[in-house]
Amino acid sequence: MHCSVKECQCGLCDLSEPHSSHLINGNTADIISTVEFNHTGELLATGDKGGRVVIFQREPESKNAPHSQGEYDVYSTFQSHEPEFDYLKSLEIEEKINKIKWLPQQNAAHSLLSTNDKTIKLWKITERDKRPEGYNLKDEEGKLKDLSTVTSLQVPVLKPMDLMVEVSPRRVFANGHTYHINSISVNSDCETYMSADDLRINLWHLAITDRSFNIVDIKPANMEDLTEVITASEFHPHHCNLFVYSSSKGSLRLCDMRAAALCDKHSKLFEEPEDPSNRSFFSEIISSVSDVKFSHSGRYMLTRDYLTVKVWDLNMEARPIETYQVHDYLRSKLCSLYENDCIFDKFECAWNGSDSVIMTGAYNNFFRMFDRNTKRDVTLEASRESSKPRAVLKPRRVCVGGKRRRDDISVDSLDFTKKILHTAWHPAENIIAIAATNNLYIFQDKVNSDMH
Amino acid sequence: MEFKLEAHRIVSISLGKIYNSRVQRGGIKLHKNLLVSLVLRSARQVYLSDPCPGLYLAGHPGAPAAPQQPEESAAGPPAGWGEPPPPASRAAWPEPEPQPERPAVPEVPRAGDAEPAATVTAAGDTLQGGEAEAPEAAWRRVEGPRETAVGAGGPAGVSGVCPEGPEAARGPCGCPAGDEDKLSAAPRVDRCLASRPAAAEPPASPPVCARKRGAAGVGGGPADCPAPGSTPLKKPRQNSEEQPGGAAAAAEEEEEMETGNVANLISIFGSSFSGLLRKSPGGGREEAEGEESGPEAAEPGQICCDKPVLRDINPWSTAIVAF
Repeated sequence: MHCSVKECQCGLCDLSEPHSSHLINGNTADIISTVEFNHTGELLATGDKGGRVVIFQREPESKNAPHSQGEYDVYSTFQSHEPEFDYLKSLEIEEKINKIKWLPQQNAAHSLLSTNDKTIKLWKITERDKRPEGYNLKDEEGKLKDLSTVTSLQVPVLKPMDLMVEVSPRRVFANGHTYHINSISVNSDCETYMSADDLRINLWHLAITDRSFNIVDIKPANMEDLTEVITASEFHPHHCNLFVYSSSKGSLRLCDMRAAALCDKHSKLFEEPEDPSNRSFFSEIISSVSDVKFSHSGRYMLTRDYLTVKVWDLNMEARPIETYQVHDYLRSKLCSLYENDCIFDKFECAWNGSDSVIMTGAYNNFFRMFDRNTKRDVTLEASRESSKPRAVLKPRRVCVGGKRRRDDISVDSLDFTKKILHTAWHPAENIIAIAATNNLYIFQDKVNSDMH
Repeated sequence: MEFKLEAHRIVSISLGKIYNSRVQRGGIKLHKNLLVSLVLRSARQVYLSDPCPGLYLAGHPGAPAAPQQPEESAAGPPAGWGEPPPPASRAAWPEPEPQPERPAVPEVPRAGDAEPAATVTAAGDTLQGGEAEAPEAAWRRVEGPRETAVGAGGPAGVSGVCPEGPEAARGPCGCPAGDEDKLSAAPRVDRCLASRPAAAEPPASPPVCARKRGAAGVGGGPADCPAPGSTPLKKPRQNSEEQPGGAAAAAEEEEEMETGNVANLISIFGSSFSGLLRKSPGGGREEAEGEESGPEAAEPGQICCDKPVLRDINPWSTAIVAF
């Protein structure tokens, strides 16, 4: 794979400098908080903690510049959300973008939904590459012409201009959620979408902002009885009536909107019984599902909890069909990870286009890929030092005692501040986007290689 | 035993996280707080269910602990756990404790129950009823001498010792493991807990907890240990800014003070998600509301109550409201 590293958005550094200093200086607004390809993979959107969205576009491959094999360049940048203050509750609402989801493209414009903790916004992205010239009453700069100089009429014509990308907010879906929104998902009907917070899931129509339908409500009558919260949710890719939501207890609930208006009763409950030998103070925390993704086929679901990724078959509720250990060597360190809050990190997971490989992030800027067919896995690192443009990524290994090879990293030297929470896989090709704190790495696999 | 220590540590860390979540930008995160409270509950269960009399004594200054241990174990684990230390061990308590109080010690929990919301722990006793009552009660009896001091001595009456009472009861809030961050949790809880009649709140601090201070050695000596700002608990609740000073001083004396305090703090914060409050007719509703105002930082329309209102809500609810 070769790598093209996108520079940090802060504008202060050049590509050759390490970025950790920014965090030391407190510039956390550039921390990438979500990454999402659109449906064709032509566009890649990232959201950050400062409420900004940056969209990258893949350059068409050209024979003239064979080395720029469809690389991603910045297409547009805009401020999606601003910090707000809820006066009633005396709460500041963070502007951090929690999720971005693209709408399927229906005309020349692109649309995406971006959300922070409380408000979802629909943005329309349009291109302008022509402009009219030759007006009769105004000159090129827009000043009114002296009519005495106008001797003939002309028809304005469209002339090419430098590409201008315009982004405008088309809808603002506000006041739908009391708790923090953790996920949004566009329905396959392209008309509705859902947003989920800790206790409720709402269904919205893309054209209607002043009301939403509550389809899941797990808030207990007495908050004392609260035992689990919703952690992620997603619509089925093909069946517009089905959606799944995951809970902090590690269970998944598949719901059918045809069954009832309020989908509190699940159609299917996917839960794996806990292994009693692994019980600890932190069992509940590490079983909390941080992300759930349907496969492209719609047959499987992928979940991520703190130490594993699991593949579930929609037809089998009793247990996952596959479980992959992401970083089991952390199991003995849960207490320290609890102390430094790392145990609460929410990692995402991703399928490749053919649902044969799954990917998720870990610490030390490592990310992991698991080939479901060959059962092989690889650990790769996203870092400047080890990834020069067009360099081939070298597999990494974490050694857990026993014999140690030369380039192995020991568990104790892992950097837990460098975490890869957000990853995305191109819908069709072997291109992945990895968000490492405030850097975005895009890796492309030009050779159709198998995992090594 | 190691489980207990680890449980203790985890409890302290958890409480710190709960406190810090209040000041985090973006409001209280329900998911994280739920997970922390689950950990807190697990740790608390280990902490309280492990019959380890030695740990009870670990809450006292070093020297008396050792000799007392055999007596404690002789009483058998439940007794050692549940019963107040025999009078002999009481004698080992530093001088500041008024003599007449001691015989009254075994009565304290009962008396405490009867007193109208005299102490958090006492009230908690009523509330907690069935839930792990023996160990809980045991913890309260550990607190006994100090409670007694208050009960008997009245707010300002008894020298040195008495302020310990309600503060001790509130103590858990204020003395987590030497972590200055957590110490500042005290004023919050204090503020709400202080809704108790002012009489129960003695003026600021003779350093009563001297006898709880391991650093001070056995009982901190006969003389009142001159620890200015010995506990953040004592600070008038408005002076949360003084916490750092008190925190520094109190930070020195962790384990002894914490053991009992943490147990009470666990009681307040830990058992169920909102804290273990039982549903009492008046308390239930307030608890629910209080709890909502905690983690979700209040649904629209709910605001944290003023003191005068809090005075009427039982202290457990007020702890939750504070949370």
